[in-house]
Amino acid sequence: MRLLLVEDDRLLGDGLRAGLVQAGYAVDWVRDGEAAITALGTESFAAVVLDLGLPRRDGLSVLRGLRSRGDTTPVLVLTARDQLEDRVQGLDLGADDYVLKPFDLDEVAARLRALVRRAHGRATVILRCGDIALDPAARTVMRGSHAVDLTLREFNLLQILLENPGRVMSRRALEEQLYAWDNLVDSNALEVHVHHLRKKLGNDAIRTVRGIGYTVAAHDPV
Amino acid sequence: MTRSDHSLRRRLVWLVVGAILGIGLISSLVVYQRAHHEADELLDTQLAQVAETLLTISVGGEIDHFVEEMHEQARRYAVPIAFEIWHRAHDEGDRIVTSPGHSGFVPPIPDGYSNREHQGKLWRLFSIHDPASEYVVIVGQRHSARDRLARETGLSLLVPTLLSLPLMALLVGWVVNRSLRPVDALAQSVRSLDPGALTPLDSSSELPREIAPLRDAFNALLVRVSAALDNERRFTADAAHELRTPLAALKIQAQVAQRAQPGEAQHHALAQVIAGVDRMTHLVEQLLTLARVEQGAATPPRPYDAAALLAASCAPYRAALSQNRQTLRLEADPGCTPLLERAWFEIIVRNLVANAVNYAGTAAQIRVSLRCVSGRARLCVSDDGPGLSPAARTSLRARFARGDTEAEGCGLGLSIVERIAQRAGAELTLEDGDPRPDGGVGLAVCLDCPHAPFSASDTSA
Repeated sequence: MRLLLVEDDRLLGDGLRAGLVQAGYAVDWVRDGEAAITALGTESFAAVVLDLGLPRRDGLSVLRGLRSRGDTTPVLVLTARDQLEDRVQGLDLGADDYVLKPFDLDEVAARLRALVRRAHGRATVILRCGDIALDPAARTVMRGSHAVDLTLREFNLLQILLENPGRVMSRRALEEQLYAWDNLVDSNALEVHVHHLRKKLGNDAIRTVRGIGYTVAAHDPV
Repeated sequence: MTRSDHSLRRRLVWLVVGAILGIGLISSLVVYQRAHHEADELLDTQLAQVAETLLTISVGGEIDHFVEEMHEQARRYAVPIAFEIWHRAHDEGDRIVTSPGHSGFVPPIPDGYSNREHQGKLWRLFSIHDPASEYVVIVGQRHSARDRLARETGLSLLVPTLLSLPLMALLVGWVVNRSLRPVDALAQSVRSLDPGALTPLDSSSELPREIAPLRDAFNALLVRVSAALDNERRFTADAAHELRTPLAALKIQAQVAQRAQPGEAQHHALAQVIAGVDRMTHLVEQLLTLARVEQGAATPPRPYDAAALLAASCAPYRAALSQNRQTLRLEADPGCTPLLERAWFEIIVRNLVANAVNYAGTAAQIRVSLRCVSGRARLCVSDDGPGLSPAARTSLRARFARGDTEAEGCGLGLSIVERIAQRAGAELTLEDGDPRPDGGVGLAVCLDCPHAPFSASDTSA
């Protein structure tokens, strides 16, 4: 799960990045509006955490630019303004949710999970495929009635795949979503994670589409 | 109630009614005296005519017949005049005739007009005598007759005035009430003003000339008060919002520290918490400084050594300067002191130097100068940093504005300096600073104010 954090305040940005990394996200942090536009134009993110008061280009303008390009990446707005019109303006411009400063780390994480879930058109919290069930909030994976112990990367990889059931995810798309800029990607790291997942969840859990990437089966009709 | 003691309405009614009453009384008195005087003249003439007629009758020898007639008449009418006729040989004399009911005055009676008391009443007498026939005629009339005449004339004027007074008071009250109606309406509209939104009173409606200036002055006051109030409200809102970001940072860093495994990450987060507290402390201190500047009275400054104070105020930034590889040069005219309180001058220098250190960038050269030229003191902090566009120079003056920079700061320094400048009658300008090697210019922030009269020496002298 890769996030773009747009926050000009050094202390807050640093804390949010650390907190979101603790929560299992890969976080890219930019500190002004122009940098945010550049990042959003070249990479894809699971969600954006956007502060409104930014140097060079303010947050609402970044949001307007993003939506006018037809980009539907979920955006969580951080705002110090609690006036109704400020919030309404942000939501009207295409923000998906907002939190008011000072906020709780857990609340930010929960809202981000909800945004990502909604962006994938899911109403249910638990992601399922066959006998595998993944709970993004509790960060647990069950196979049948047994809990499966996964590393951070394995968990994130499985979540991305489960969020796109039936779709073949390319190696590049998976890597982009898994790693922040500052984590150098080892050329065969992805294969290693897939290999471990298959060992823990069964060989048929993840299917390889030769030359393209990986996929999980579409939801079984219940 | 003190309020009704000072009722304009009541006072107007009393004053007008009192004036009418006073004028009525005075004119009645004048008329009474005037009537008295006229009655005196008229009745004196009558007395003399009667006396002369009686004398003529007496000399003509028909007095006995006339007296008989008189007595006949007196039985039917009250005779308003008393008379007596004497015949005087040598100094002795005999009273021949008296008018009906008259007992006779006590002699001697002087010729012409005289006043006399007779039987406890005041009388007006006229005496005339004919030397040839030696007849003397004395005619008298009671004074009270004249008094009554004058009194009746005077009262005829006073009585209608007194009778009409209550009616007059009602009328005056009604007129005053009517005239004061706009005042009531104005009071009502002021009463119904919402203290939260001080909208000026409707100035389109027609008001009497006496009240319109009151409304206009009130509206002008409202505009000033609501501007000040808006400013306060904006400031409070801005300050609250400014506090939210550092608070959010503190909370997040604390939560990160709480969840992190003991080690470098936790240590880092805790260090960030401490840095956050320091930053909030700075913000609160700047807010307090601003509040003190807003409230503090502009007291006349006492002498101080501005050059020494300048050096002392720059000293705390030495560590930051060497960390940023910046240099700071001080240039102060000896004895040049701006007309500013010592504490204010120190606040200004600190904020301007701090801004330069924070925003001029790495390896910048900062120049702090204090010069006295032709009665003005000019403090400039200039640098060869990235500088500011004219538009940015304007917007930077807003409270909490930080400019497009990643450097830390709460955005209040320049506001504080500007507020002090306003209070002290000084002028703050953002100008081109020192040239950069690449051809651009840095920023100079200058404060221009009168220099203090107590300076020891003046370079312009």
